[in-house]
Amino acid sequence: MSVIPGMGLVRGMGLTLRRFFQPKATIMWPEQHADVAPKFRGRLQLLYDEYGTLKCETCFQCAQACPIECIDMGGVDTKGRFHVHWGPAETYGERREESALRRSGRPVADTAYERFAGIDVAPLDAILEAHDFDPGRMLRILEETQAEYGYLPVAALKHISRVTGAWYAQIYGTATSYRHLRFEPPAVEAPAAGTAQVAAEAGFRSALEASLGYGGRAG
Amino acid sequence: MSSISRSLGHVSPAGKVIIPLLVVVFVVAPILTVLVGAVIGPWLLDLLGSNLGIVRFLVAITGVLLFSIPAAFIIIYMELKVIAYMNLRVGPNRVGPAGAAHSVVAGLKVLSKEDFSPANADRFVFTWAPVLVFLTAVMTFLVIPFGPGYVDPATGERVGGLVGQDFNIGLLYLFAVGGMTVVGLLLAGWSSFNKYSLLGGLRSAAQMVSYEIPLTLSVVGLILLAGTMSLTEIAHQQEGWFTSWFVFRQPLGALIFFIAATAEANRTPFDLTEADSEIVAGFATEYSGMRFGFLFFAEYVNVFIVSALMVTLFFGSWNAPVNVNDILNQLHIAPITVDLDPGSLGVGLLLLVMAVPVALTLLFGLPFYLTRSRMPAWQAVVIGFVLFNVVAMGIAFLLAYIGLVWLAGVIWFFIKSFMFVFVFVWMRGTFPRVRIDHLMGFAWKWLLPAALLNLFLTATAIVVVKVLHP
Repeated sequence: MSVIPGMGLVRGMGLTLRRFFQPKATIMWPEQHADVAPKFRGRLQLLYDEYGTLKCETCFQCAQACPIECIDMGGVDTKGRFHVHWGPAETYGERREESALRRSGRPVADTAYERFAGIDVAPLDAILEAHDFDPGRMLRILEETQAEYGYLPVAALKHISRVTGAWYAQIYGTATSYRHLRFEPPAVEAPAAGTAQVAAEAGFRSALEASLGYGGRAG
Repeated sequence: MSSISRSLGHVSPAGKVIIPLLVVVFVVAPILTVLVGAVIGPWLLDLLGSNLGIVRFLVAITGVLLFSIPAAFIIIYMELKVIAYMNLRVGPNRVGPAGAAHSVVAGLKVLSKEDFSPANADRFVFTWAPVLVFLTAVMTFLVIPFGPGYVDPATGERVGGLVGQDFNIGLLYLFAVGGMTVVGLLLAGWSSFNKYSLLGGLRSAAQMVSYEIPLTLSVVGLILLAGTMSLTEIAHQQEGWFTSWFVFRQPLGALIFFIAATAEANRTPFDLTEADSEIVAGFATEYSGMRFGFLFFAEYVNVFIVSALMVTLFFGSWNAPVNVNDILNQLHIAPITVDLDPGSLGVGLLLLVMAVPVALTLLFGLPFYLTRSRMPAWQAVVIGFVLFNVVAMGIAFLLAYIGLVWLAGVIWFFIKSFMFVFVFVWMRGTFPRVRIDHLMGFAWKWLLPAALLNLFLTATAIVVVKVLHP
C-alpha cells in the first residue's frame, strides 16, 4: 500500500503509456525472419544445473507434445526403483530388449543407443593434444576423430566440448555443416567409384538408346 | 417466364446482377420517377411538412443507427491496436492500411456465420434480446448533443443543434434507457437455456443495477448546479474557457461518474459480465454469429456513449478549451469572421477556379525545379500539385472551422470523446480484473456514500452561496 491510495493505479497507467511509445518487439514474419545463428541445428539436449543434477523433472510434457513420437523418455524414480517411460514399449531401450528376447529368443542390439555409449577416449586425447586443445582448429580435430573412430560418436563430441571448452552446440554445428563428417558408422561399404557403376550405367544407356532408335546413328 | 430464366442461365455471374439492375434503372426507375414526381411527391412533402417532429425523429434515429456501426468499428480497431502497442506488439496490420479494415472484416465474418440457437432455447426472446441491448445503446445517442446550433439573429434564440431530440429531461431519459440494457442482458441469459448463461445474466444484472445508483447520484449535484436536465443546456453552460467545465466544480462527481460508467459499460477493471479470459462469456455464452455481433457492438457503442457523456457532462461538451474570441478581445483585435460570398465575383469566380489551381501548382513546384537540377519538370509539377492540395485543404478546413460553429463543435466533441475512449482502452491495457465481492463492496461501501457526500456538499454550497449573495 503506497502512501497515497490509488498511486499504484497511476503508476501502472504510466507504465503502459511508456510501453505504448517504445519500439515494438514483433518480428513481421514472413517478411522478416528471426535472427538465428546460421549454425543453429536445434538438437534436443537435457541440461544440468550447477549441482550436477538433471534439470529435467520427468514431467513427460515434451514426449506427450511430440507429434511424431520421436521423443521418448526413460528414468528412475527418486528411490531408484522404477524405470518410467512414455511412448510405445518397443521404442524404449530396456523394454525393447525384453520384448526382443520374448519374441525371438535372442537379444537385439539397440542401434539408437549405440552412439550414446561411452568410448575409449585415449586416442581422442592424443588428437586433442596434438592440436593443443585449440577450439579454433575444430574442423581438423573432428576430421581426425572421424578417421580414428570411423564416425563421430556423441561421447567423443562431448569429450571434445569438455576438454577444449567449446560449446557442444558449436561443435555439433560445425560437424553437421560439413558433408564428409558423419554421426554414424557407414551402413554398407560403398563400392569403389568406377568399374561396377560405370558398367551398369553403360548398360542402361545402350538399352535406352536402342529403344529410342538412336542405336544405329550413335554406333 | 421459363424463356427468361433459360436465357439468364447463359449469362455470366456478373451479368446476372447487372442485367436486372439495368432493367431496374431503365424501366422501373423512370416509371417511379414520373409517379413520385407527379402524384406521390406533393402529397408526401405535404405529409412530411405537417409532421416535422416525426420526420426529425426518424432522420435522427437513422443517422444514429448509421453512425453507431462505424463508431463501433473504429473503437474495436482502436482497442486492438492500442492494447497491442502497450504490449509491445504491432497488432492488426494485414487488412487495409495498418490493419484499419480489420474490425470491418471481422464484422463481415460475423455476418457470414451460421444463425444458430440452442435446442430448447426460447427462440423469440433469444432472437430479440441482442436487438434490445443494441437498441438501448443506440437510443441513448438520441439525446447526446454533438454540436451547437446557431443563434437566430432575429429572435436571439438558439436554433437547431446537432442533437437527435433536445429533451428537457434528457439526462433522465438517458438513465432510463440505459437501465433497459439490464433487461436485455437478463433476457439473453435466461432465453439461452443454459445455466451458465443464466448465472452470467444475473451476475451482469447485479453489477449494472448496483453501479447505476452511484452513476445516477453522481450527476444529481451537477443537475443542482446546472438547474436543468437538458444535455444541450448543460453543454451551453460550459461555454468559454475550460475553467467553466463542470469537472472543476464537481471533481468528486466526475470521478464517481467515471468509475460507475466504466462498470456500466462493462469495461476493465469491472468487466465481470463478460470476463473473457477467466470464466464463460456470461450471458453471451450461447450466442454466435450476428446475434453475438449485436451484443459485441452494443458493448463498444456503450463505450463511446459513456465517453460522450463524460465529455458532455463534465468536460465542456463541444466547447473548445480555449476561448479564442476572449483572447482576441484582450488583444483588441476584432473577432475573426468568415463571410465568403463567391457569387459576388461574377465571371471572376470562373477565372479564379480555372486559374488559381494551375498557377499555385506551378508556383509551389517552381522552387523544387529551380533548386534541384536533376529533377525532371513533371516531378516538380507533381510535387507542386500535392503541395497545392495540402495547402488548399488546410485553408478550406480552417475557413470551415472558423465559419461553421457546428463543425468546430463536432470536431472538439469527437476529439474529447475519443480521448476518453482511449482512456478506457488504456485502462483495459493496464488493470487486472476486480474480484466480484470487491466489485459489489466498492459500489455500495465507497461509491454510494461518496456520491451522497458529493450531493450533500453541492447542496450546502449552493445554499451558502445563495445566502451570501442573495
